[in-house]
Amino acid sequence: MSLRKATGLVARREFSERLRQRAFRISIVVTVVLVAIVGVLAGVLGGDQPERYEVGAQGAEAAAIVGAARAVAPRFDARVEVRRFDTPAAARSAVRDESVDAAVVGGTVVTLDNLPDELEQALQAGAREVRAAAALRAEGVSGANARRALDPPPLRVSALEGGGDEDERSGVALVASLLLYLQLIGYGLAVATGVVEEKASRVVEVLLAAIPARALLAGKLIGIGLLGLTQLLLVGVVGLAAAVASGALELDGATLGALGVALVWFLFGYALWASMFAVAGAIVSRQEDLQSSSTVLTMLLVVAYLVAFPVIDDPSTPLATISALVPLSSPIVMPALVALGEASAVEIAASLALLALSVAVLVRLGASIYEAAILRMGRPLKLAEAWRAARA
Amino acid sequence: MLELRDVHRRYGDTVALDGLSLVVPEGELVGFVGPNGAGKTTAMRIALGVLEQDAGEVLWRGARAKREVQRRFGYMPEERGLYPKMRVDRQLGYLAKLHGRSGSEAERAAGRWIERLGLARQAQRPVEELSLGNQQRVQLAAALVHDPEALILDEPFSGLDPIGADVLAEVLFERARGGAAVVFSSHQLELVERLCDSVAIVNHGRIVAAGRVDDLRAERSEPRLLVEVEANGDRWLEDVPGVEVVEHDGDGVLLELGHGTDDQLVLDAARRAGRVRRFAPARPTLAELFREVVDR
Repeated sequence: MSLRKATGLVARREFSERLRQRAFRISIVVTVVLVAIVGVLAGVLGGDQPERYEVGAQGAEAAAIVGAARAVAPRFDARVEVRRFDTPAAARSAVRDESVDAAVVGGTVVTLDNLPDELEQALQAGAREVRAAAALRAEGVSGANARRALDPPPLRVSALEGGGDEDERSGVALVASLLLYLQLIGYGLAVATGVVEEKASRVVEVLLAAIPARALLAGKLIGIGLLGLTQLLLVGVVGLAAAVASGALELDGATLGALGVALVWFLFGYALWASMFAVAGAIVSRQEDLQSSSTVLTMLLVVAYLVAFPVIDDPSTPLATISALVPLSSPIVMPALVALGEASAVEIAASLALLALSVAVLVRLGASIYEAAILRMGRPLKLAEAWRAARA
Repeated sequence: MLELRDVHRRYGDTVALDGLSLVVPEGELVGFVGPNGAGKTTAMRIALGVLEQDAGEVLWRGARAKREVQRRFGYMPEERGLYPKMRVDRQLGYLAKLHGRSGSEAERAAGRWIERLGLARQAQRPVEELSLGNQQRVQLAAALVHDPEALILDEPFSGLDPIGADVLAEVLFERARGGAAVVFSSHQLELVERLCDSVAIVNHGRIVAAGRVDDLRAERSEPRLLVEVEANGDRWLEDVPGVEVVEHDGDGVLLELGHGTDDQLVLDAARRAGRVRRFAPARPTLAELFREVVDR
């Protein structure tokens, strides 16, 4: 049997057997639900939902004015709905019993008490537009020319220090780094415990009589990695959908780009960390010993995660530049920087190249140590011993 | 035929195999015996290709065994091992696939062995929920599920109850008669003697005796006699030259006859001393042969 076929068989087993485990399915559901809740809460508590107004209109001109106001309302962070009334009296009584927030009757805006600022701005803008158009028509300017004259392209905003939606972006960055950290540590440890499970149960000897150690390791990394990627994709899509639905986020290129970057950096970051976790598993024979052999790795991952906080707070520091390049921290830091919109194309490319390079080296190194250590039973091996055995 | 030829292997300063040679013909059941630490497990792992030898060769049907060929061998390691949380049927199907069987073939084979070893009711349960005896049966099925041409089993009988041992013996015998080369190690020498076509005794990393048990007996230089005489002590033996007392066995005495000593002279001497109740050649058991060659 070819190496590739053996790897595929192992990967399929890892994927399907893990998916069958109740604890795993529950953990996925819990994560997805939590992320959905966070997304919705961000919208509800964020409070930057546009205020919604219902405005009555009596007469053709009033209807045109409220209609125009409705079109421009988002500029003033408001939403306007129109309700037609046949008589001024009907419009006034609707205002009085508060079934509408205001009504345009003839040239007047009728309100119960004072008119909210954003609504007044929207209605005034609507009125200006409708009346100017009427005046232009009276002067003989055609409809299309009139519209062009009345609706010049608005000025664009270029902020020298961050965009206006900075809070939103750093929220996405924080969530992205947290998710990546959780994914890397969760699936890295899954690889380590999976390796130890095979050693501790001694099934590894039966397996290695049938397939090469490399196929066993590669299949395990791929199967568990695909599961991790699936979970991240699921969590990312559900989280984004919830945040967009609740109005906390806008679904634009930047948001989708951040999700894409998170997936790519997860793949490489997982390959890097998981091959180190596989070594941590291969040098011990019992689950009890795994904790001590994997402590260094989990500590390093925690440090990489902690670095993300100051970086998100101020992405212009040297710490940000360096940690986004160093392969141990870049899988967590770089997606956060991209979400912030603070990474240049060159930085992104350099970070990915360094990461890919170290993946190529570490996966190979990890595989040799794994091969040398996987059949050594008994007391935990020191890394140096395993290394010597791998060189032998 | 599976053959190990002059295989050497060291672990650091420890010599595990020191020129071991072993032949397992197809269609035969070979017992592999030796004291603990003699090198049995190392030899079996090398035969399977799980472990590399430092020198020497592993041959299959006369040619150097390729790794792909070795991967088709069936193996039961001394330390039993299965995925504890994986269902019996899925586990066996998976192992059959790893040994190169296609998907549907693998499932059929798993089902067949589950039926054959009486595991039908446990087929859909995770291995860890099974009794130890049933886990052993699954382990056996794991070695056999891909219908291997060679079977290498490290202490397959240890930990089995008598019924499990009977099932195992029957299956091994059947595989050998079906044309497979079967070798297993065991400390239960009576069982090896009863079951195997031939034995190989290993000590300090080399084979010290090998062949059919009858041939091994014949090879032993000094014949033995078990004699029971109604006489006072062993004094009657003083008349017969070339005879040595090996041990007393109840009322009888086990004698070793020197080269060229006529057993009829011993009988005459015994009759002169008293009534002869028993006079028979002593057929050494495998256990006795084992002790002799290992102590030597």
